[in-house]
Amino acid sequence: MALDYKLVIWNSFKKQYDKIIAVSMLLYIVVFAIVTFTFNPESSIETLIIRAFGSLAIVMLHIILAIGPLSRLNDQFLPILYNRRHLGVSMFFAALVHGGFSMFQFHALGDVHPIYSLFASNMDYNSLINFPFQVLGFLALLILFAMAATSHDFFLANLSARVWKRLHMLVYVAYVLIIAHVFLGTFQQETSPFTIGFLILGFITISGLHLAAAFKERKTDSNKTEEDEGWIKVCTVDEIENDRAKVFKLANDRVAIFKYDGKLAAIHNVCKHQGGPLGEGKIIDGCVTCPWHGYQYLPNNGQSPPPYTEKVATYQLRLKDAIIYINPNALEEGTEVEPVYF
Amino acid sequence: MAKKEFYVSYVEGSLGTKTKVTLKRFVWICLGFTIAGAFLFSFFQKPFKNSTFELTNTTNITGTFHQSPYPMLRVKVAEGTYKNIVLLGFGKSSANPYLDNLLAQEKDLHGKILSISGNLIYYNGKTLLQITDAEKVKLEDQNGKVPKKEFLGEMVFEGEIIDPKCYFGVMKPGFGKIHRSCAVRCISGGIPPVLATTDKNSIAEYYLLTDLQGKPINDEVLSFIGKPSEIKGIVDKLEDWYILKIDPKNILILNKNSSIY
Ligand code: HEM
Ligand code: FES
Repeated sequence: MALDYKLVIWNSFKKQYDKIIAVSMLLYIVVFAIVTFTFNPESSIETLIIRAFGSLAIVMLHIILAIGPLSRLNDQFLPILYNRRHLGVSMFFAALVHGGFSMFQFHALGDVHPIYSLFASNMDYNSLINFPFQVLGFLALLILFAMAATSHDFFLANLSARVWKRLHMLVYVAYVLIIAHVFLGTFQQETSPFTIGFLILGFITISGLHLAAAFKERKTDSNKTEEDEGWIKVCTVDEIENDRAKVFKLANDRVAIFKYDGKLAAIHNVCKHQGGPLGEGKIIDGCVTCPWHGYQYLPNNGQSPPPYTEKVATYQLRLKDAIIYINPNALEEGTEVEPVYF
Repeated sequence: MAKKEFYVSYVEGSLGTKTKVTLKRFVWICLGFTIAGAFLFSFFQKPFKNSTFELTNTTNITGTFHQSPYPMLRVKVAEGTYKNIVLLGFGKSSANPYLDNLLAQEKDLHGKILSISGNLIYYNGKTLLQITDAEKVKLEDQNGKVPKKEFLGEMVFEGEIIDPKCYFGVMKPGFGKIHRSCAVRCISGGIPPVLATTDKNSIAEYYLLTDLQGKPINDEVLSFIGKPSEIKGIVDKLEDWYILKIDPKNILILNKNSSIY
């Protein structure tokens, strides 16, 4: 796994994407500042920075959290998913400005260390309305830091995809912590139905999208299979598009059955990079190409073409009267299987 | 479904037209969401007080030093009218360490005239001065008159304990839940605790808190800071300030929204 992270390269699309992120963030801060100084000119610059960057971070977090389910619902969103990392790192920097300024404002230049002060200045941990809400923001910032720091594929390669994925699932923990941070903090004092409503609507939208995506996945999983003497009857050849796959759930694993060049081949559905759904990919230049970041695997042996070294499990297929049967026992990752001709 | 678009980052031109339309639409929606967020979070902030902290401006003031029990400077503002300026240290600290140099020469500074350069903090008739450098505290040759305490009796107030440095200028908002941790740090660092109250006519009044002996009180009130409370104590008037002598055991936290917001 030495070369793979060079795969995610810079291109003009990526640069445009970054430009949109930078301009939007700038626009946010400018709008926030203009509105504040127009309607509330007694504000202080520190409060402006703390509030503008904190609220910017949470707005960005909503967009980040929407991209995952949106691209599961509609593969036209995949180009954004492909580049979600830059959005995540930018959001972390917005949160860092907010958290850093808050730490300095509220905890520095005192009689104890600022981090100690963060945890100990308000000890009402057993109260809801008086809860030390800043601690929640701090924990969320630590998670965002860990994610931003390991976002590069170098860490993905060295941490193993599973550990990396788990680490990055913590974004949901961070989201919950931040929502609690705002509801138990600012909203206790700066209570406005509009900002509260904004975050409630945001929460409903994000959960709605995740539920819809999960529902769609369940539907795929219910693609009918039938057992026949140890082999599982899955579908007919016609049901699969050329150069594409259909995904079936066998016991605990999802398997993608590809149809290409008059052949059929089955491989494990999970990409070794970040767990992308290979079955939603396409055969390009004879290789299964992952829809998320374009990692490739040969359909007949589940191996990435040299110099890459990723391997996924393969499965044996059998064809009878144009009906496809699969052996549910996965073969060792990278095992050569004679494709089935139809 | 015949020709589904399939984007691969390293394949030039694989970004299909339909995908581009979807992406553009998504970008516009996100932009709208972002601007709506910026507008809502900025527009619906509560009004800030017109309190002031002259961070970058130094002012020299001369007056009679007294410790009642917190360090203050009594300054003449007009014939027969005096203002007592509360002295504070840099950051979240007391002014006392900045007076140590002078205390080494002079046993007692009470009643001595000092001239001090620092940053002014002011709001609603009250003025405070931040000292950032012990060198900027100079002892003048004369003695001055310290203010007389006037006994007013036992009273009960509803209000919130604040740190006067932030409340009267350094931070916005300098009270309530958002600011509590900072106020705890300030008062723990030696800044005098102040009870801010508003009466039925929304007239605000401020009381420097001391213990029943009239000594500084800091750590004992930390858990009450920034929470609307009812406080009973003995009131002395000290020209333009009130001193409230309390027993922290008599502080009652009220479960209601603060009236000083
Ligand atoms: C070290 C970590 C953090 C600290 C010390 C901290 C502290 C604070 C403080 C003191 C406030 C109240 C400010 C005010 O209303 O005047 C606040 C509000 C807020 N924080 Fe944090 N925070 C931290 C991390 C985060 C993170 C990681 C996020 C989100 C990504 C976040 C999002 C927000 C939001 C959205 C608000 C409400 C903004 C507003 O007032 O309009 N905070 N935080
Ligand atoms: S290429 Fe990244 S998940 Fe498959």
